[in-house]
Amino acid sequence: MVNSAVAGVAESGARPRSTIGILRLPRAQRRALVSYLAALLVWQLGSTSGRWLGVELPLLGRIPAPSDVLGAWSHLIVDPGYWQSWLASSKRVAAGFTAAVLTGVPLGLIMALSPPVWDVVFPVFELLRPIPPLAWVPAAIIFWPTQELSIDAVIFIGAFFTLVLNAVSGARSIDPRLIQVARSMGASRANILTRLVLPAVLPSVVVGMEVSIGITWEVVVAAEMISGGGSSRGASSGGGLGFFIWNSYVGGSYPQIIVGMISIGIAGYLSSAALRVVAARLSRWNAPYGGRA
Amino acid sequence: MPEPSARTQLLRATLGNVPGLGDLSSDAVDSIVLAAEEGETEDGQLVYGGTEIVTHLYVVRAGRVRLERAGSAAERTRWAGSGETFGWHTLTGIRGERATSDGATTLLRIPERALLQALASAPLRREQLRASVGGRAGAIGARAKTSSEAQWFRSPAPYRRLLGYALFFGGWYLTVEAWALPHFDRLPGITEVVHEWLSKDPTFGLSVYTPEYYAHIGSSLRRVGIAFSLATALGVPVGLALGSSTTFREYVFPVFELLRPVPIPAWIPLAILVFSGAEAPIVFLTFLASFFATALNTFLGVRSIDPKYVLAARCLGASPWQVFRHIVVPGALPFVLTGLQISVGVAWFSIAAAEMCSGQLGLGYVINTSYTEVKFPTIVIGMLTLGILGFATSALVRLVGERLVVWRARELSMERP
Amino acid sequence: MTSGAIAWRPAGTQRAAAPVLPRSARADALPRRRGAIRIADAVKYYGTGESRVLAVDHCSLDIAAGEVFVVIGPSGCGKTTLLNALAGFHSLDAGSIHLDGELLCGPGREKAPIGADRIVVFQNGALFPWKTVLENVAFGPAMRGTIPRTELLERARRRLAEAGLQGYEESYPGETSSGVKRRVEIVRALMNDPAVLLLDEPFRALDALTKAMMHEALIASYLRTGSTVFFITHDIEEAVFLGSRVAIMTSRPCRPKKILSIDIPYPRGRETVTSRRFRELVAEAMAAVHEEALKAYALGEKEG
Repeated sequence: MVNSAVAGVAESGARPRSTIGILRLPRAQRRALVSYLAALLVWQLGSTSGRWLGVELPLLGRIPAPSDVLGAWSHLIVDPGYWQSWLASSKRVAAGFTAAVLTGVPLGLIMALSPPVWDVVFPVFELLRPIPPLAWVPAAIIFWPTQELSIDAVIFIGAFFTLVLNAVSGARSIDPRLIQVARSMGASRANILTRLVLPAVLPSVVVGMEVSIGITWEVVVAAEMISGGGSSRGASSGGGLGFFIWNSYVGGSYPQIIVGMISIGIAGYLSSAALRVVAARLSRWNAPYGGRA
Repeated sequence: MPEPSARTQLLRATLGNVPGLGDLSSDAVDSIVLAAEEGETEDGQLVYGGTEIVTHLYVVRAGRVRLERAGSAAERTRWAGSGETFGWHTLTGIRGERATSDGATTLLRIPERALLQALASAPLRREQLRASVGGRAGAIGARAKTSSEAQWFRSPAPYRRLLGYALFFGGWYLTVEAWALPHFDRLPGITEVVHEWLSKDPTFGLSVYTPEYYAHIGSSLRRVGIAFSLATALGVPVGLALGSSTTFREYVFPVFELLRPVPIPAWIPLAILVFSGAEAPIVFLTFLASFFATALNTFLGVRSIDPKYVLAARCLGASPWQVFRHIVVPGALPFVLTGLQISVGVAWFSIAAAEMCSGQLGLGYVINTSYTEVKFPTIVIGMLTLGILGFATSALVRLVGERLVVWRARELSMERP
Repeated sequence: MTSGAIAWRPAGTQRAAAPVLPRSARADALPRRRGAIRIADAVKYYGTGESRVLAVDHCSLDIAAGEVFVVIGPSGCGKTTLLNALAGFHSLDAGSIHLDGELLCGPGREKAPIGADRIVVFQNGALFPWKTVLENVAFGPAMRGTIPRTELLERARRRLAEAGLQGYEESYPGETSSGVKRRVEIVRALMNDPAVLLLDEPFRALDALTKAMMHEALIASYLRTGSTVFFITHDIEEAVFLGSRVAIMTSRPCRPKKILSIDIPYPRGRETVTSRRFRELVAEAMAAVHEEALKAYALGEKEG
């Protein structure tokens, strides 16, 4: 409707206003750049305040300086141990997340489409959902034979609940009238599933996946910190970026903490991007009837 | 209003018999009628052959059509008589169907585009949606409460709910204690936990009768309370500003989005480094998590306000500040409240992580130390307590929210279309 | 009945016939005459570059102050574009619009200012859900500070009562039926004494009975205030019932195809609908609309 297309929230214009290099960028990008630089400047000045001001600023003064962080990173890039941490964390994320998707999405669909299953499962689901995933760590360590599996299990729990809820919400967005019409014209159950239900559910599942992958990274980092370094159990398993950060703290190499934080941020961003690519692929062969247009 | 033409009436009646299309509003039906085409066929005439993929919905006005499908397990012939429908293969997934008219027939043909538009323009009432997807067309579930969650999920039937709990707790008991399955036998059993939780003199020192239990609860609760309040006080204004001011958004949002993806646990060592004492880092971490959630959801809330309200207000003469105060803030409120519920959840998540890594009081600390000190039942007590607190605080936020957003609650409880 | 489209000549040439204003005992008592609109050679494109679509093509309309001007045409033909340009929501690519002789938008002024002299009643209703009916109705003058508060609330209550809506003052819009909502929105608009009332298919989603009530309510309000009414609809009978003149637009690009003068005096009631003159006018309008509707449908127009 044209009325709703008339938005007061006009997006920034894309017209360049001058021919000088940087200023040729659209306004929004220019301002973002300014923000980053300003933030970086404040960080650098604040964290090194002890050195050039003589007096250390509260809070800011204790943060490792960007210059030191860069130095630390240049050493780490060539250190194979650093990349092994990446690999370890990524493997855990992949394992736990995939398991959650493969169990959570079908469960969500079944729950949404079958009232008896819903009635039995949902109360227990809601009972367990508020328990923070990390609270499961000790129980997982006790139960699972290896530490690796216990971390994967906790990651699974973290992602699982969100995926189920989003699958349910997606299933409920299907216009049931279309199902009625299709059924009355002799479409088989299988056809209804593949042609109506799955395409309608896909957008919600994708959203659920994007949210869960964020949660997954949070859980991975925490789990690695707790089981690999935080507790007094030996650091036998470890590896992973969470463990790396904790270790850097304990070992006193503070700039490495920041390197670790940024690395995790990048890793999280990369996994979200990968998810979006997969989602785009899946939506391409979909002819959605069920979801809201 | 004058009587609609006889043709229109007949068409409407025919469409009314199509399952699923019977309850459409008259406007929706009219739009379908406008798009419909009529045709007459002779005996034995082919309506469509086996190779086409039919995108029209066919309705038989008078006569009978034979539908044959080769290639399926049982070669099926079915018939569509007066008022019945066939076709629309893109919806049903049927392939290779052949339709021939049996005797002279009058058919209606409607392109799927018109149907989909008509359906999209006539949103269903919520109960119908719930009931139909559940497969019981026409059945109305339990009366919806006004909360936004109940709007989606009707209360499960009591017997089945009990069955669910029974299966879960029963399973817990059986696997851990009765059958003592490998691995499971290392876990604390349900009887152990319940016994410990409710005993006046707990073996491991923590039960509903010990003051330490409440000290830990109080500690966690206090931290969450402070962090959540700070996050709300800061996050809501920031979110509102992000949503209403392009300048603010273009300067601030990039840095915001740069920091947000870093998982909260990754901030723990830095927080410990920067903040002195034991309380401040934990509160800071919880605050950070809540802040991001609140600010982002508020921002999205402002974004989701239908622009027509802004336009209407400006038409009526409101200044930009008045628009902000009277349209943006109240309009975003429901989303802000959803954001606050998420924020509370995130706060508990973060505090569990923070307390497990450091700190001397609090439920996360309890869980961690119970593990290292081999007090397994206490672990479960800690987990369940966290769960209960999380649920309770979230419900509290939701209730307070519903009070504030009275108009939304009243709107949701209206059963009228 | 003419079979071909009437070619509309660019602005500056005489209109075919002078407008017939409603004549009735009450019409002479109309409060004031302002709100004369002159649309000259309006052109509007949607989209850019290759896929640009011409929505409005050299459209010119002359609307007299105080008349009910109804615009009708197949969906997606650009009628809403004209309304949006009048209200100031959109700009025009060429041409101009004048209100009472003053330039609203055109060369030198890209978009008309959004203001309380041209108030829009939106298709899906834009009553603020978080304000009560009374607060909604009082919103305009309250924001502009033109009337002191106690007097404002008094007046608002009175207008609501005149429209048959007493008892709803403290309800929220979400609790009322669509008929009530629509009437409240019209009262809200008219509280501000606008020069022009712009309505974009406001009664589209209502059922036939409610629609009939809305028509009578709108006419009653119009006769009380005398604002110019610019009304878009796709319902032919509604158009002929409400309008003093009905403009049938061509399918995209939008241009007036035929303008009918409805010479039935106000106030019009249920008996008008069965009168012979009404039926004749409806038939005339239908023929013109049907032609354009077929064209539009062949092009695969979406609701616009």
